[in-house]
Amino acid sequence: MAVMTYIDAINSALREEMARDPSVFLIGEDIGKMGGAFRATKGLLEEFGEERVIDSPLAEGVIVSSSIGAAMAGMRPVPEIQFVDFITPAMDAITQQAAKLRYRSAGTQTCPLTVRVCYGGSVGGGLYHSQSNTSWFIHCPGLVVVAPSRPYDAKGLLKAAIRDDNPVMFFEHKKLYRSMKEEVPETDYTVPLMKAAIAREGKDITAISYGYTLQLTLQAAEQMRQKHGVEVEVIDLRTLAPLDTDTFLESVAKTSRAVVIHEDNRTLGIGAEVAATIAEQAFDCLDAPILRVTSPDVPLLPAAAELEKFCTVSADKIVAALERSLAY
Amino acid sequence: MATTFEPAVLTRDTEMELLPAEPDGALYRRLYSYMLKCRMVEERIRVLYRQGRFAGNYFAAVGQEATEVGVTLDLLAEDTIAPSHRNFVTHIMKGTPLPLMFAQIYGRKTSPDQGRSAPAHCGYAPLNVITPSSTIAAQLNIGTGIALAYKMQRRRNVVVALSGEGSTSLGFWHEAVNFAGVRRLPILFVVENNGYAESVPVALQTAVSDISVKAAAYGIPGISVDGNDVVAVYAAAREAIDRARNGEGATLLECKTYRWYGHSEIDPAKYRDPAEVEFWKSRDPIPAMERRMESVDLWTSQWKKELEAEFNREIDEAIAFADNSPQPEGDEALDQVYSFSIRERELERKTWEPRFAGRLAK
Repeated sequence: MAVMTYIDAINSALREEMARDPSVFLIGEDIGKMGGAFRATKGLLEEFGEERVIDSPLAEGVIVSSSIGAAMAGMRPVPEIQFVDFITPAMDAITQQAAKLRYRSAGTQTCPLTVRVCYGGSVGGGLYHSQSNTSWFIHCPGLVVVAPSRPYDAKGLLKAAIRDDNPVMFFEHKKLYRSMKEEVPETDYTVPLMKAAIAREGKDITAISYGYTLQLTLQAAEQMRQKHGVEVEVIDLRTLAPLDTDTFLESVAKTSRAVVIHEDNRTLGIGAEVAATIAEQAFDCLDAPILRVTSPDVPLLPAAAELEKFCTVSADKIVAALERSLAY
Repeated sequence: MATTFEPAVLTRDTEMELLPAEPDGALYRRLYSYMLKCRMVEERIRVLYRQGRFAGNYFAAVGQEATEVGVTLDLLAEDTIAPSHRNFVTHIMKGTPLPLMFAQIYGRKTSPDQGRSAPAHCGYAPLNVITPSSTIAAQLNIGTGIALAYKMQRRRNVVVALSGEGSTSLGFWHEAVNFAGVRRLPILFVVENNGYAESVPVALQTAVSDISVKAAAYGIPGISVDGNDVVAVYAAAREAIDRARNGEGATLLECKTYRWYGHSEIDPAKYRDPAEVEFWKSRDPIPAMERRMESVDLWTSQWKKELEAEFNREIDEAIAFADNSPQPEGDEALDQVYSFSIRERELERKTWEPRFAGRLAK
């Protein structure tokens, strides 16, 4: 075990997978000599050489689509998109090609690649360095969408994603990169894809989130215990598509109340899908309306501190929603 | 046709020099018979469409056979073709079984995609033909990735990536060619300039008269050839493919040709001057090759009749296979979305009953 930040955990997963499997290679902007905008690939060029750590041209479309082709030919590419805000030139590659290749070839042609994407706000990055946009990909059958909330999962899920035979969108919240540390094994392990986790057990109300807002939800749960003696069960979705619905449905059947928290816009965010699923499959379990704590439906995120603060999810906003649900 | 761009100037003389010595004319015979077969397959598909024998649409490359054949003859099974919607007949060149191609046209369970995509969107994994999509130029970028893998794997294989002149207006086209140039990838980009992107003439796509000049921006050779001269196309493609196999990187090959029919079977192409169509039909690549071969005693009308009879037999058998193939079952639409099944998720949505352990008092 070693105490690692989230970015250390990512780096460690990449290093271990590249050492384990010679078909794994990295491609992206600034990932080589510079070691990545956030240093996720630090030291890997020196260790594995220029052929396996490719400083690409500044063109997200070809970063992803060349990875698709390489994956078809037997490689395990791990392309990096520096900020999800820049992913739009790669949208054809991701949504029309990677997502549909297996389907449109009836399973005879596949592209196992893991697109690492840095996302999220609360760092004053402004409109083009703060977006979440996970919903764009959740809405796209054929993609596995993963968004770990902590270093242990970041390493285990990234290793699982690289070994998975499906195209995986791997969302890393930039606010998590260096804001928390925890014990992470230095030995080989994976965390299963498509499986949510109970991040904190409780019996009174279910709070469902992922990524950075999962950490805020855990803070809110602790506040609820101290303030009201309420035991919040916190579900970490971990994989957003295909969604593990059983874990949160099981929890709601136990607690009868649900609040969904995410940083993406409210409309058609993962919260909408979670809420609809609970309403469809666990209607009789509910004692209160399902509530959402999300960013508003505005372009995310405006830069000025007060604007950003207004838009982003906070532990206090989550506490308020939990209180509202309990008071219903 | 005039060639344009240094360093790869191609004239009729150099073209002849590039051809391997072949006293029996085997190469010419193959080029010719493949063109004839491609033409016959596509004309038959068009008849089947008009007869209402299959749903969807088809995008014929009739008139462009010299290009389809010239750039794909003699590819290895491990080489990749990255096709657009108009390159269905390149399957004939790669060796995809004709019955599977007609099953694709008919959208049957036996087709390579089991009825998922569209009639013209045929891929074939065993021979490395990428299953096409409809987003223009996407196949070029995927092709560069396959070429990247070939290079990393130290394989001497190549990718032939085809697109029309319309694709060169997309940023995606330039990302692909640039990337191939930067990394010296083993790929041949073939631009079939057939004059029209659906209805839009080439003069509204680009201000250059030879698309091959665009190669200069990416540090790779660019060549324009008469896309209706199968020998010229083959010679240029062969040189480029050999260079790619030898680690000398990518080439852009523009083949100037003409699409005889509309963009698709539902397009009467009334935006074109009939005189222009007639002019290009007079430059039909198949009779042109017949004249060339006849002058050196390699072609007779009797041989053509024999070929036609053989190809018609093959086509009839392929159509019978497609006709007798089952339709996919409706719920097979749920398969092959992921490496795991989603049937249970989609078909069995269970209801949850309350089992409140510690329900709070209201």
